[in-house]
Amino acid sequence: MMKTLSRTLLPLLLLGALPAGAAPAHDLYLFGAVNITGRVIGSRDVAKNGVYVRTAEGGFTHRGINYPAMLGGAFDPRDARVFHVAAICGVLTTADGGLTWRIGTSWDMTEPKAVAVDPNAPDMVYAALPDGLGVSTDRGHSWSRRENGLPARGKYTQVVTVDRTAAGRVFAGSETGIYLTEDAAQNWRRVFPVVDTVTDIRQSPHDPKHWLAVSQSAGALESRDGGLTWAPIAGITGRRALYSVAFDPTRAGRIAIASWSLGLLTSEDDGATWAFRNEGLPEKHQVWRTAVDPDNGRLYAAIDSGALFGSDDFGRTWQSLGMEDSRIQNLVFVPRARR
Amino acid sequence: MKKLITPFLLLAALVSAQPSFTGPMPAPPADLRPDTLRRAYQARVDETLDWYLHAIDPAGPLTREQALVKLVRGQDAAAVSRRILELLAEPQSGDMFWMFPWTAIAFTGRDQLSPEARAAIRDAWRTYFPMRGDTENHWVMYYASLFLMTELYPDDPGETWFNGKSSEENHAEAKGFLLHWMDLATTIGQGEFNPTHYIGEYAIPMLYLAAWAEDPAMRQRGRMMLDLLMAELADNSLHGVLRGPNARTDDTSVLERWNALATYFSWTMYGHTPPPSGYGGWGIYFAIAAHHYEPPPLFHLIATDREFDREQHDHKRSRRRWRYSDVEMMPVYKTGYIRRDYAVGSYQGGVTDPIQAHVWDVTWHEDDPRGVHNTMFSVHPHASARVLQMYFTEYPDWMIDLLASQGKPSYGVPDKILGCSPYEQVFQDLDTVIALYAIAPGENFQRVNGFFSRNLRDVTEDASGWIFARGGNTYLAYRPLAPYTWDELLGYRQLPRGNSGYVWERFRPEGPVDRILVSPHANNGTIVQAASADEFESFESFQAAMRALPLEFTLEPRPAVKFTTLRGKKVAFTYGEAPVVNGQAVDYARWKLFEGPHLNAELGSRKITISHGRQHRVLDFNTVTISDYVTP
Repeated sequence: MMKTLSRTLLPLLLLGALPAGAAPAHDLYLFGAVNITGRVIGSRDVAKNGVYVRTAEGGFTHRGINYPAMLGGAFDPRDARVFHVAAICGVLTTADGGLTWRIGTSWDMTEPKAVAVDPNAPDMVYAALPDGLGVSTDRGHSWSRRENGLPARGKYTQVVTVDRTAAGRVFAGSETGIYLTEDAAQNWRRVFPVVDTVTDIRQSPHDPKHWLAVSQSAGALESRDGGLTWAPIAGITGRRALYSVAFDPTRAGRIAIASWSLGLLTSEDDGATWAFRNEGLPEKHQVWRTAVDPDNGRLYAAIDSGALFGSDDFGRTWQSLGMEDSRIQNLVFVPRARR
Repeated sequence: MKKLITPFLLLAALVSAQPSFTGPMPAPPADLRPDTLRRAYQARVDETLDWYLHAIDPAGPLTREQALVKLVRGQDAAAVSRRILELLAEPQSGDMFWMFPWTAIAFTGRDQLSPEARAAIRDAWRTYFPMRGDTENHWVMYYASLFLMTELYPDDPGETWFNGKSSEENHAEAKGFLLHWMDLATTIGQGEFNPTHYIGEYAIPMLYLAAWAEDPAMRQRGRMMLDLLMAELADNSLHGVLRGPNARTDDTSVLERWNALATYFSWTMYGHTPPPSGYGGWGIYFAIAAHHYEPPPLFHLIATDREFDREQHDHKRSRRRWRYSDVEMMPVYKTGYIRRDYAVGSYQGGVTDPIQAHVWDVTWHEDDPRGVHNTMFSVHPHASARVLQMYFTEYPDWMIDLLASQGKPSYGVPDKILGCSPYEQVFQDLDTVIALYAIAPGENFQRVNGFFSRNLRDVTEDASGWIFARGGNTYLAYRPLAPYTWDELLGYRQLPRGNSGYVWERFRPEGPVDRILVSPHANNGTIVQAASADEFESFESFQAAMRALPLEFTLEPRPAVKFTTLRGKKVAFTYGEAPVVNGQAVDYARWKLFEGPHLNAELGSRKITISHGRQHRVLDFNTVTISDYVTP
């Protein structure tokens, strides 16, 4: 009961401290789980897990099935009720906003780590698999592999991201590097090698040629030519694993990086200089995921086994937004116009 | 798995003693006629069922297991129906551990339960979304259950199943995986081979397929896989006690070899050892359908005949590697040697499963193995986030701590005695084991842990460098190749759960404690030689014989041993090279799927011959047939 209250009322109480304004233009979806640190397969679930949606009051409400291992979602640009989720059992697809689901993948694809929809060809859905790359051409109903150009071994793929400017142009972040396809995964080529896993790849909302990636041991990477060439960002260590990276859609030049061991790092000068922004976060500031709200520039930090934190001054001060004892795997902002 | 057993063990504490668990050691059956064996098998099954019935609190609600047993016995269907409605009115949990119990209830109760109860069970498969999991045993449970339930409800549309797929789609997918898994197991070997607990996760689904599959081929395949599992259990057990190596075991079973779910199956099948407490927890789910299967007399002979020494070579495979490896599944070359008094088993080392593997040991026979730590071995206590990432699709930073919070407390501690290492290479010839270690700089624990049981007698540190000991009727000689000290092995005690999952503390058990030989040197090695006490006039004469054996070794630049075994074999083994026996290099490429007196199969053949003397059973997965024959 306490958890339910805190998840709904606490954000309400805090809302007064946050900037007021017009109704947000985006819905915020969280993919993750609550109170599962000690959970093993087969455990009794003590909380609702899976998809959470931000309420009008600023809290979060669970939607649909109770599923503890959902890692991220991708929405159909034509209809936000249609979205695909990377879950431990495969890729789940809903056509009714999360009320009912279908696993489109079969036994031969499991544990996808990420899923992406091509905004210019939205029937095309891509899944980052621990053993390669899955593609659906029918809105997630059926799946096949498209791995020509990926190595026979060394194709553990953590992230897949579609270039919003060109149909069929997709990046895959894997254990051996960043791979690029420009023909909807018919052919892949490696554009940057790594020796550990690439964990996140993002395209700038301000400049579609500007891309960022983070990795386990190669630090943060940047491309200014649409992902054709990549280079490490100076000042970001490669000695610690980095988990996610986010652009601020409201202000060019603001970037955030999440790390388990480093916490949250931000840059406000397009990556030239960086600052730790952990003051106000819990002492164990193990940041699993970060994101920036496209409506107001609020910076989010999802603390593992902690809570979801928000900052309206890009990390200088933080407020808890609830979701205590959670592991939020991903935050996705969806334009309300697609409802 | 162990945490899931907890409710069963609580139940065990609340009810009267289990007859076979608390009774004297059973004698192996002397009468091997099929009808006698069948009656004894059924009596053991009935004991399990009766224990659950006797545990029913007349004033309290039935547990799910008690409800199921009542259905098996045809009792109180109306009350059971009402109880099922109550159980399903609650939020459901358990993933694939939820699926097979409710499959069992659905099939056992299909002609007894009320329409409302049957409808509630059917609807639960729409409303509760179980996870498929991430290991083979998870998938076998998940897909065997889904296969059966979609046969029970063959024509239902996708919206009536949790995963949105129709009965037809789910059935085809389940069949596809089950055939794939059976194909792997019968061509390159089982992945989770010889598991001390996870044997239940395979045996129970296979029994259910054998019992209830409508598809005759799948029904037959279920029976055949169950035959294979139980024949392997018989072949790998020492008087009912499953010894090493094990693809997966745990901190308890690796020491007290008898205390494992595998022992429940030894007891149920062959009756030559007591069952564990609570019938191993999941044992009840086998018992409720056990009348659909019985092991043939041939398997009893394999399980109980220890009058001749035997060596068996098997080909297995590692857990699937997702990344940071050139191979998807590492081949495992497993050796087993069993005599009346002891068993020696091993595989070649390396990482097969990152958490719970057990690479080698000598396990000796005890007249009563209950509570006895009847084993000897050494390990490198390896713990690595990168190696965990090979097998798990997780981020690196939190995995080691996570394992403790998820019920595997020993993974990241320096004195652990469970697990495998990329820096361990092992060779076994009959009852001699040589384990070599070359631990890379920078690894967490630059040490080797040798396990010395509290139940060993006459442990003697000899001036020759050998450590001699006696266990049961077995003489043991342990040779550490580098200096060492002794530590007591502390236990793990679970504390109340916090928000961070399971919390543990170390504690010193009361009474005599096990010891660890701690050898803090990166280049290292262990030689163990076992022998039966009956072979020597005295323990001293065994020691003298060991001292006289030629032994040369070096640790730099890498460990290398030349040793003439007690059996007269000249073994040369250098870390990173193929072992050499009597001048001949061991060629693992020639290893068969099974090769030995009892199980034989060519790699890739899908055809296993199980034998004892003149009796044979052939499991041919190509033709899906079981053939029995007797040679003249």
